[in-house]
Amino acid sequence: MAKTYDYLFKLLLIGDSGVGKTCILFRFSEDAFNSTFISTIGIDFKIRTIELDGKKIKLQIWDTAGQERFRTITTAYYRGAMGIMLVYDITNEKSFDNIKNWIRNIEENASADVEKMLLGNKCDFPEKRQVSKERGEQLAIEYGIKFMETSAKASINVDEAFFSLARDIKTKTEKKLEASNPPKGGHQLKSYEPSRKQTNWLSKCTIL
Amino acid sequence: MESKHDNKSQNYELFIQEIESTDDYWGPTFRAIYDGDEEQKFMELLDGRIKQHDRDIEKMCNYHYQGFIDSIRELLQVRSQAQKLNTEIVELNTSLQQSSERVMEKTEELVKARKVEANIAATIQSLQSCLPVLTTYSKLQKQMKEKRYYPALKTLEQLEHQYLPRVANYRFSSQMKESIPKLRENIKEASMSDLKDFLENIRKVSARIGEVAMRHTSEQLIVDPGIIKKKKKKAPHPPNPFTGEVDKEEGLDVDDLSAQDLIDFSPVYRCLHIYSVLGSRGDFETYYRKQRKQQATLVLQPPTNMHESIDGYKMYMHSVLGFFVVEDHVLNTGNGLIDRTYLDELWSFAVGKIVNTLRTHSAYCTDATLMLKIKNLIMLFITTLRNYGYSVNQVFEVLHEIRDHYNEVLMQRWVGVFREILDEESFLPAEVETQEEYDAVVSAFPFHDDDLDNSPFPKTFPFSPLVPNVYQQVKEFIYACLKFSEDLGLSQGEVDDMIRKSTNLLLTRTFTGCLSSVFRKPSLGLTQVIQIIVDTRYLEEATVYLEEFVSNITGCRSELSLRAGKEAGGHLFGVARDDAEKQICEKLKRKLDEFVELEAYDWLLVEPQGHASSFITDLIAFLNSTFTSFTDLPGEVAQVACKSACEHIAKSLMGMVLNDEVKQISMGALQQLNLDTIQCEQFAASEPVGGLEEGSLLCYFTDLRQLLDLFMSWDWPTYFHDYGQENSKYQHVSPNTAIILLEKIREADKKTVFSVLKKSERDKKKLLETVLKQLRQLALTASQQQQ
Repeated sequence: MAKTYDYLFKLLLIGDSGVGKTCILFRFSEDAFNSTFISTIGIDFKIRTIELDGKKIKLQIWDTAGQERFRTITTAYYRGAMGIMLVYDITNEKSFDNIKNWIRNIEENASADVEKMLLGNKCDFPEKRQVSKERGEQLAIEYGIKFMETSAKASINVDEAFFSLARDIKTKTEKKLEASNPPKGGHQLKSYEPSRKQTNWLSKCTIL
Repeated sequence: MESKHDNKSQNYELFIQEIESTDDYWGPTFRAIYDGDEEQKFMELLDGRIKQHDRDIEKMCNYHYQGFIDSIRELLQVRSQAQKLNTEIVELNTSLQQSSERVMEKTEELVKARKVEANIAATIQSLQSCLPVLTTYSKLQKQMKEKRYYPALKTLEQLEHQYLPRVANYRFSSQMKESIPKLRENIKEASMSDLKDFLENIRKVSARIGEVAMRHTSEQLIVDPGIIKKKKKKAPHPPNPFTGEVDKEEGLDVDDLSAQDLIDFSPVYRCLHIYSVLGSRGDFETYYRKQRKQQATLVLQPPTNMHESIDGYKMYMHSVLGFFVVEDHVLNTGNGLIDRTYLDELWSFAVGKIVNTLRTHSAYCTDATLMLKIKNLIMLFITTLRNYGYSVNQVFEVLHEIRDHYNEVLMQRWVGVFREILDEESFLPAEVETQEEYDAVVSAFPFHDDDLDNSPFPKTFPFSPLVPNVYQQVKEFIYACLKFSEDLGLSQGEVDDMIRKSTNLLLTRTFTGCLSSVFRKPSLGLTQVIQIIVDTRYLEEATVYLEEFVSNITGCRSELSLRAGKEAGGHLFGVARDDAEKQICEKLKRKLDEFVELEAYDWLLVEPQGHASSFITDLIAFLNSTFTSFTDLPGEVAQVACKSACEHIAKSLMGMVLNDEVKQISMGALQQLNLDTIQCEQFAASEPVGGLEEGSLLCYFTDLRQLLDLFMSWDWPTYFHDYGQENSKYQHVSPNTAIILLEKIREADKKTVFSVLKKSERDKKKLLETVLKQLRQLALTASQQQQ
């Protein structure tokens, strides 16, 4: 069977329960929105194929349950993930505060060179906003990751976010391929060593 | 001588005397004188005599002279007096003349007046004879104007026969005479036009009449619900023993009076009277009946948008009812204008139309509330009509038909209700935080669990809010069903049967339908399907309580209903549950397909990776986490789901191997596939779901395993040796499958350029060809055997 895609990227959505991970995924995969809250049990995934620079990229996006009780199941999926979307709810201060916990989770469970992105969801709801865009941006800078405010309901920035993450992964993957292909060797290590350092350094900053 | 002389003188005296005494005939005397010769002496004597006479005259004149003068004097006096008298008389005459002139005038006037008087008298007399004619005529006119046609007709007759002959010689009377037939015609026409007005009015008013009649009926029903039955049984009033008349007035109820109040029936009676008097009663009857029949047709034509609102129905029924109330009234009071047969005929014609109309229009209706209203309206309609003595069984039957439709409509409505519930449903176990919330759920749904009762808040029910909601709605539905059957006069058994049938349909068809549309939603996750399965189980368990509920309502023996309930309950929610269970397998398969689509086998792989392909590891991990997350999934459902998942994986893997598009498969690729299959087999052996028989999952991979084993070990001798035997190691490998895979491997081998050079490879190739040949033979015989 001929391969129907050029790359397969596994992405992971994490964040507190109720921030809208499933909705974001649903918007991205089906371009639809369902306002009723159905909390995810365990883990689910959706697949969408996108095209970037003429390459067909299959995105297998894992949607994790935000609830604590499914933590053991969901963390098992961190390792295989090539990109992680950290989602908080701009109308919920706590979900924003918890982002650092989620970051710690990533550091503990995910591979070191995983691409990350911070999403502030529900930006269609400004009257209930508790977390300003600036704070979101600030936090993203601290961790050295990209940031976007999204709305699954109003379909704002959802595609953009995934495309952006996918592009970053693609760039990284292609670099790795170039590096590993003709001169095989220890270059691979080098490619993600600095990023590891960077995150560490940044996280230290927050602690300080 | 002396005597002689004296004698002679005497003669002479005589003579003179003679002459004096006579005036004529003096001749003989003269002769005698002359004959006697003494003439002289005579003359002397005569002279003497004349002288004597003269003396006498003189003496006499002297004597009379004074007298004479006096007389003349007197005469003169008389003459003047006479003259005076004469003027006096003339004066008198003129004055008389003057005064009499006025008298004359007056007299003339008087004469004239007398004449006038006489004329007047004559006129009065003749006028008096004409007057009654005219008064009668004017009375006639007045009556005509007042539309009192019947008296007018009487007056006309009087005029014609009594008064007019008396004054026959007048022109006006002849004119009148001529106009009489015309007047008669006018009366006829006028009364007819009155009737027409009446007919027109009645058309306008009859809806009102119907409305009033229905209102009366409903009032009566409120006052005394038994009145209908009483009325039906009430015999007609016994004839009055004294007069032998049936006391009709008492028998008429208020409705009749209202009808009368609302419209003046007199034009009908009048017209009927007039036509009877004029001898064309038959025409009139025919006319009236024909008109009313036409009106009936109009009345029976429903307004085009009747089905849209209750007002349309009201209008229609009021009109129809009004029509027949009026006819009933006319029947009772119309003096035989219409008879029973006619009315019955009209009614039976109408009833067919009514039934048709109600049937078609109610069929359009999709609003249960409206249908209830319609039903109540029809009930009232029926009762009222029955009160008037019309037979309404057919209409009643329509009501039953409408009831069936109503149940359909209700089901439609409940589709919406269920959809709403399902739409808002998160399919998560219901969680309650307070005792009140807990009580609310427990009171809505028959569920009791001691552990849950004792556990601290927040408590979590095993089922989602869907369960109490749906349970409540089913009850609501039953109530709604019942609403229509109220006072429909059905037996409890019938009601029970109806409710059971409808409820059964509601749950098996409507609810299941709603659920299956939920299943079609892409957003519905596995979790939700599982919760639905759990929910339907709880609902199924609660069917018993529903049965009890129905029995309580209908009062049917609970034994019977319970038994029927179990029969029905077996598939009340069962259908929905089966569907949900099927869905879980479907959903799982779809997920697995998504994994399989990610498959990225390099079919020309030289060396296997040494570990399973990532899509398989992901897939197995997904399955593992799925089955561990879904602790709520009922055992046998989980087993079925797990089995179908394994079967699906095995089939998919096998499908990849046999796929036409994969032209070549290297042994390396096969080894990789083997690694993946081992992963799956490990999963199957790991008892991911409890309660499964050992090996029941593994058996799905047997085909693939045997095929892989055969090719990995290149154990063709055993295959051919054991072929067709039951305990063959490769029992599940068909020659055809083997051929397909073998051909692919051969294709892949061709690519390796150097293989031909090696002897071992050449031998292998030879062997391969031989095996292929043998396999083909086997396949051929197998197909021949089959034929």
